[in-house]
Amino acid sequence: MTPEEFLDIIVKKFPGVEGEIRENKLPHPRKRVWINVDREEFKEIMKFIKEIDPKAQFSIIIARDGGDYLEAKYHLELFYDHAPSISLIVGTKCPKDDPKLPTVADVFLSALPYEREVQEFLGLFFEGIPDPRKLFLPEDFPEGVYPLRKDEKGISSAMIKNAGHPYKMKKEG
Amino acid sequence: MENRVEYWVKIPIGPIHPALEEPEKFIITLDGERIVNVDVKLGYNLRGLEWVGMRRNYIQILYLAERICGICSFSHNHTYARAVEEMAGIEVPERAEYIRAIIGELERIHSHLLNLGVAGHAIGYDTVLHLSWLARERVMDVLEAIGGNRVNYSINTIGGVRRDIGEKHKRMILDMIKYYREEVMPKIEEIFLYDPTVEARLRDAGVIPKRIAIEYSAQGPTARGSGVEKDVRYNEHLGVYPDLGIKPITPKEFTGIIKGDVFDRMVVRVGELWQSMELIERALDQMPEGKIKAFPKDNVALVRLKKAEGEGIGRYEAPRGELVHYVMANPGSEIPERWKMREPTFPNLFAVARALVGEQLADVPVAIASIDPCLSCTDRVAVIDSKTGKKKILTEKDLLKASIEKTREINPNIKAKPEPIGGTCGGVRL
Repeated sequence: MTPEEFLDIIVKKFPGVEGEIRENKLPHPRKRVWINVDREEFKEIMKFIKEIDPKAQFSIIIARDGGDYLEAKYHLELFYDHAPSISLIVGTKCPKDDPKLPTVADVFLSALPYEREVQEFLGLFFEGIPDPRKLFLPEDFPEGVYPLRKDEKGISSAMIKNAGHPYKMKKEG
Repeated sequence: MENRVEYWVKIPIGPIHPALEEPEKFIITLDGERIVNVDVKLGYNLRGLEWVGMRRNYIQILYLAERICGICSFSHNHTYARAVEEMAGIEVPERAEYIRAIIGELERIHSHLLNLGVAGHAIGYDTVLHLSWLARERVMDVLEAIGGNRVNYSINTIGGVRRDIGEKHKRMILDMIKYYREEVMPKIEEIFLYDPTVEARLRDAGVIPKRIAIEYSAQGPTARGSGVEKDVRYNEHLGVYPDLGIKPITPKEFTGIIKGDVFDRMVVRVGELWQSMELIERALDQMPEGKIKAFPKDNVALVRLKKAEGEGIGRYEAPRGELVHYVMANPGSEIPERWKMREPTFPNLFAVARALVGEQLADVPVAIASIDPCLSCTDRVAVIDSKTGKKKILTEKDLLKASIEKTREINPNIKAKPEPIGGTCGGVRL
């Protein structure tokens, strides 16, 4: 299946999806499919992707603080038996005052550790996540501090003051 | 006797444990010797790199990315450079792509030799450790001759590479390949393919079935050892690799069967050593003459990147599996909006933790060593130090005081008086 065919199938099934194929300009070009969905449709589309290729590989969740919203992008690789495979990026958003997305850990088992990572670092919560514990940060990490946020919930400069910096030796004489 | 009481025991393996090379914690629930559940806790090696990356410009991140990990340092800055090039639409000269392929394969050789030694060490066969690490010195010397350093060779820059491969280097690489082919590889094959003791210990230990490898998206030799034909250099049509004839290696070509155990993962690594040497030879033959970078100076690249918009993804097959870097531009600024990476050890750890369920406790060290875990890659994002319950942040002065006390305790004769220096870090006053 080519990226164009794949995008056609998705757009036919979900007309509300914005999708495009971008090709980089390197001497060895590579096509990637980028799609953006609303969070209401997001879980349905992930289930549909799993139906298209049951062996689809879940690679990464890229979450980011975009000002008044939080954005999560999911990279998946489909049909990796063939070369070139389909490299797919599914993006979705949620407002900051309601930072919730549906979990996909029941569709793609390997998504669980990434969701746990996003929860503790960005305060973007996943509804129905099977294991909401912290993964990287210590259990006694202060509540309400999300290190990668860019607003007041992030790490303020007061918190990092003087944290572990090299020191100079006083010159004798 | 019929009312036998079943009891489960929880054993923490790690953060510091003789079986592990780096700090990570596996909490293992045992029923006798059989493993019932494995829980993974990470974060003992966090350095806050993503957070630091939010305060650095594109060129600085290039060198920061290199320091994520010492063993796959080339992979990290290669993948990051690819992501930035995709984002900004920068064309890389053909010769640079060949040099990247050659250095990448040299790095794969040293990483796989290291892991073969570690696997030998995990089963108590320390001779293998010493001999394979001795053989590894040769490729480290070549990397030092090309890049100037044994690790962190800083080969990549945005839009090309920083060091060229000349005639002298080419001769050195070919000599090295000859040495490996004739003296090292026969011994390695003797140990990892034909030795009955090694086979008895590694066969059927830490089996990752194909289904679990797919569900938990295992990467690299861990996936290929379970029969998943997945290699980013092949599926991604990455750079010049299709011209060099890349193919995913599975143990089927060597032993005829795929079981997905530790033995198979080692067989894949042995196969990839052969493959890497062939790729290097072909790349040296086909390498065209020409420029090695798109921009003469780093500041020219920065000016170009300041105008860039959009986002890019870089993917590369690091020695341990698929590495992904994502970069999003912030138009008008030298600092990217978002830089995120994912290392192959992250999914592999969860795949091996799932696969250990039902196995024997004694197989844990060798199963963990077999995925070649690289925890400094996986842990990279913590920021502050906090004591139980309270938000106690250690300042530079506190740390300095504590370290002076410790030094005095060890050696009261030291007279130096270090002072806090402060300073700024990417615009943030420290």
